Amino acid sequence: MDRPADIVCDALVVGGGAAGVAAAVELCRAGLNVELVEQRPALGGAYYRQPAGGATATRPGSRRARQWSRLLDELRGAGVTPRECHVFLGVDTHGLALLDDRKGGRVRTVRTRAVIVAVGAVERVLPRPGWQLEGVVTAGGLQMLIKESGEAPTGSVLIVGNGPLTVALAADLARLGRPAVAVIEAGDPMTRPSAALRMAAFPGLVAEAAADLTRMHAAGTPWLRGSRLTTITREDGRLLASIEDRNGASRQIRADIVALHDGIRPNHFGLPPTTRDGLVVLHAGDCREALGVSSAEADGRAAAREAVALLSGAAAQRHAPEVTRQRRVQAVLASLFRPIRDDGGLAALPDETVLCRCEGRTVGQLRAMLTEPDPVGAREIKLNGRFGMGPCQGRFCADNVQALVSAVRPASQTVPLSRDRWPARPVLISALAAEEEAREE
Amino acid sequence: MVVVGAGIVGAATCYFLSKRGFRVRLIEAAAPAAAASGAADGAVSVASKRPGPMMTAALAGIALYRQLEQDGLFAGLFKSRPTVMVAENEKEAERLVEHAAALASEGMGLRYFEGGALRRHLPGVAPHVRLAVEVGEEGHAIGYEIVRRLIAASGVTVERGVAVTGLGPKDDGSGATAVRTALGVVEADHVVIAAGGGSAALLGLPHATQPRKGQLVVTERSPALAASLPGSLMSCRYLLSKDAIRVASAETGRRFGLVIDPLRTGQFLIGSTREERDDTGNDHDAVSRLLASAVKLMPALARLRVIRVFAGVRTATRDGLPIVGRMPGFENLLVATGFEGDGICLGPLIGREIARMVAGETTELDLTPFAPGRFELRSLVA
Ligand SMILES: Cc1cc2nc3c(=O)[nH]c(=O)nc-3n(C[C@H](O)[C@H](O)[C@H](O)COP(=O)(O)OP(=O)(O)OC[C@H]3O[C@@H](n4cnc5c(N)ncnc54)[C@H](O)[C@@H]3O)c2cc1C
Ligand SMILES: Cc1cc2nc3c(=O)[nH]c(=O)nc-3n(C[C@H](O)[C@H](O)[C@H](O)COP(=O)(O)OP(=O)(O)OC[C@H]3O[C@@H](n4cnc5c(N)ncnc54)[C@H](O)[C@@H]3O)c2cc1C
Repeated sequence: MDRPADIVCDALVVGGGAAGVAAAVELCRAGLNVELVEQRPALGGAYYRQPAGGATATRPGSRRARQWSRLLDELRGAGVTPRECHVFLGVDTHGLALLDDRKGGRVRTVRTRAVIVAVGAVERVLPRPGWQLEGVVTAGGLQMLIKESGEAPTGSVLIVGNGPLTVALAADLARLGRPAVAVIEAGDPMTRPSAALRMAAFPGLVAEAAADLTRMHAAGTPWLRGSRLTTITREDGRLLASIEDRNGASRQIRADIVALHDGIRPNHFGLPPTTRDGLVVLHAGDCREALGVSSAEADGRAAAREAVALLSGAAAQRHAPEVTRQRRVQAVLASLFRPIRDDGGLAALPDETVLCRCEGRTVGQLRAMLTEPDPVGAREIKLNGRFGMGPCQGRFCADNVQALVSAVRPASQTVPLSRDRWPARPVLISALAAEEEAREE
Repeated sequence: MVVVGAGIVGAATCYFLSKRGFRVRLIEAAAPAAAASGAADGAVSVASKRPGPMMTAALAGIALYRQLEQDGLFAGLFKSRPTVMVAENEKEAERLVEHAAALASEGMGLRYFEGGALRRHLPGVAPHVRLAVEVGEEGHAIGYEIVRRLIAASGVTVERGVAVTGLGPKDDGSGATAVRTALGVVEADHVVIAAGGGSAALLGLPHATQPRKGQLVVTERSPALAASLPGSLMSCRYLLSKDAIRVASAETGRRFGLVIDPLRTGQFLIGSTREERDDTGNDHDAVSRLLASAVKLMPALARLRVIRVFAGVRTATRDGLPIVGRMPGFENLLVATGFEGDGICLGPLIGREIARMVAGETTELDLTPFAPGRFELRSLVA
C-alpha cells in the first residue's frame, strides 16, 4: 500500500506569479482548501520579481509595486499561506502531486482534486554558433538578476535578439549607469508604420517603450536594427560576436557578456498536460499563452472559476476579456518586431552549432541522424541521439530539436520530444528517499 | 522472411537472417526498441542465475556479446565488468554463500570480500554490508543501442508503425503462414514472432505470458563515484525476491530487486521493481522505496540528483523460461518471447539460434527447455 499523502487539499496552485496568486485568491474565496507553491524564496513571478534578501527594490512606489502589494493583500485576506522554495515536480502515476521542498530537503506528496499550473513563460533562445560559451546568458535571466540584486553585472554587456525586452534590458542597464555595448535587433520597428499605427491604440505601452528607448539612447547604446548575430567566439578571455547587418555587411563586437533573447513562450515543460483520471489540471497565465502580466492575472482568476465549476461537476469555459485584449497587443508587437529578413532559421545553422548544451550534441549530429534511410522517431532521437537527455531533460533544447526535425523532414509527422513524466526538474536522491529512511529506522 | 517486432530479439533475428543472405522484412507496431528493449537495465549477466538452462543460456549470451564486440559489430557498446552481489544482513549472507557455491560449481570465477578487504574493494558501500561476491567476466549493454546497431548492420529498413493483427495460412494451401497487417497480408517462407508482450496474443496463447513492470531511475553524472564501483552492485534481496515470486506479490503486488549500475557516462541507473502490471507509469512510492534502499547500500548516492525515471514491461512466463522455437504444427512459424528480465543478455544469442533453425541447422544452444510446445496450444485463429 502507498503511504498516505503528506498534504491533502482541494486545489494546488503552482507558481507564485500574478496568475498563481490571483488563482489562489479566487479558489479560496470559493471556499476551497488551497495550497499555493512557489519554487523561489519569494512570490512575485517574472514581472513582480522581488529583490533578494537585503537588496533594495529598483523602484519602490512604482505602479508595478502598488499592483503587487494589492495582490498580496488579497492573498492574505483570503487566508492563503504560500509555501515558498517548493518545486512542483509533476503528478505521479497514482495521481499524487509531488513537491520538492528544497528547504526541508525532501519531496512531499499532495493528494488534491485540482492542480492549477501557473508557471509562467520562459525565454525563447535560438541556438547560434558559440552560444554554449561561458558568458553567454539570456537577456531575461539578466533582467531578473538585476531585479533581484539591484545591481548590474560586472563586465560589458552586448544584447542580441528580437523583441521589446532587449530594449527594456538596455534601459535597466543605463539606469544603473552601466549601459550596454549595443542592442542587436533582428527586426526594425521603424520600418513598420502600419504596425506602429496600431500601437497607438495602447498608449500605456507606447509611453513605456518611448521611455526605455530614450533612456537607452541617452546612455549612448546603439540600437542596430535589422541585424543578426552569426557566431560567438572567445578571444583573449572576452567574447567576440560577429554581427551581420541587413545588407550582409559584417562587423565584430567585443563584450564580456552576450545576452540573447528571441521572445518568450509558454513554459509547459515536463508538466501534466490535461485533466486525467479525475484530477482536474488547468494551465493559467503565461504558461498557457504568454500575453503579459495583466492578462496573466485575469487568466488566473478565470482558471480558478473554471476549476471550481469543474469540481462541482458543471461544464465550464474560460472567460477573460483582458486576455483577448492583450492577445491583440502581442499581435501588434510581433508584427512591429518581425525580423527584416529570413535568415533560414535553424536549418541554416552550420553543423558544428551545439543544439543540446547539456550533452554537447550538435546540429550536424542531428542532421546525420535524420538523413539516414530509416526515418528515426522521437524516441530514437532522444535515446540514440542523446538529444534532450542531459540534466535539463529537454527543457532548453526540445523545442529547437523539434524545429530542426520539422525543417529537415517537413513531410514527417511532428515528433513530440517534450515529456510530461515527473520529475520536471532534477531532484536530490536524499529528498526522494528521505521518507523511506525515516520509516525504516 | 518476416520478423515481427523490432525489440532486441527481433533485431538480432533480422541481423543474423540477413547475414545469411535471406531477404528480411522487419515489421514493427511502433518503433525499434519501443517496448522493453528501450526501457531496461542492460545487465549481460549470469550472476543471479541458478544452474540450469537459463544459466547455460546466459553464459552463451555473454560469450556472444564478447565475440561480437571483438568482431566490431558491438564495438563500443559492450562494457565488460563484474557484478558484485552484496549481503546486508545475516539472512542474505547465508543465501549469498549458498548461491555463490552454486555458481562456483558451474566453474564461474568468483571473488569473496569481507571486512577490511570489502571496504577497500568497495569504498562506497555502507559499513553494514557483510559480504560481497564478485562475479567476473560479465558486462553491460544498452538495449536501444544494440537494437540500432543490429538493424543498421542488417541493412533492413524497419516497417514502422505497422501492427501485425493476426496470423493465418497462406492462400495457396501450402500450409505456410502469412501475417495480417493494417496494410494488407504479408506472405513469407518463414515468420518469426518476436513481438515481446504482443506475441502470445498473435499465437493464440493469451495466457502463456504475463506483463511484469519494472521502474528505473537515472541520476546525473558523477564520474568519480561511478568509477569507485568495479561493476554493478546487486543487492542479495534480489535473490530472495526471485525465490518468492508469488508469495510476496500477494501483499503489495510488487517486489524490489535493487541493482545500482554505474554507466559509461558516469551516471547511475538504479532499478528496479517487479510489478504484475502492464503500464509504464512511475509512482513516487516505488521510486522512493527503491532509492531509500539504494542510499542505504551506497550512502554517497544521496547527494546525486535524479534526472529521469522510467518504466518498462517485461514479458514473463508461468515457468520462468522463455518461449523459443517452432510452433508445433507450423513448420514455418517460429516464436521467441518471454525473456522476462534477461532479454538484453539473451537477445543476440536467440537471434543467432533462430536464424540457424530457419536455415535448417542444429542449434548450438539446447533450446528444448524453451520449446513452445510445453504450453497447451489453442489452434491458431485463421
Ligand atoms: C524574461 C521575461 C521578461 C518579461 N518582461 C515583461 C514585461 O516587461 N512586462 C510584462 O507585462 N510582462 C513581462 N513578461 C511576462 C510577465 O512576466 C508575465 O506576463 C507575468 O509575470 C506572468 O505571470 P504568471 O503568473 O503567468 O507567470 P510568472 O510571473 O512567470 O510566475 C510563474 C511562477 O512560477 C514559478 N514556477 C515555475 N516553475 C515552477 C515549479 N516547477 N514549481 C514551483 N514554482 C514554479 C516561478 O518561479 C514563478 O514565480 C516577461 C516574462 C519574461 C520571462
Ligand atoms: C525494468 C527492466 C529492466 C530490465 N533489465 C534487464 C537487464 O538488466 N538485463 C537483461 O538482459 N534484460 C533486462 N530486461 C529485460 C529485457 O528488456 C527484455 O527481456 C527484452 O528487451 C525483450 O526483448 P524482446 O525483443 O523480446 O521484446 P520487446 O523489446 O518488448 O520488443 C517487442 C517489440 O514487438 C513489437 N510488437 C508487439 N506486438 C506487435 C504486433 N502485433 N505487431 C508488430 N509489432 C509488435 C513491440 O512494439 C516491440 O517493439 C529488463 C526489462 C525491464 C522492463
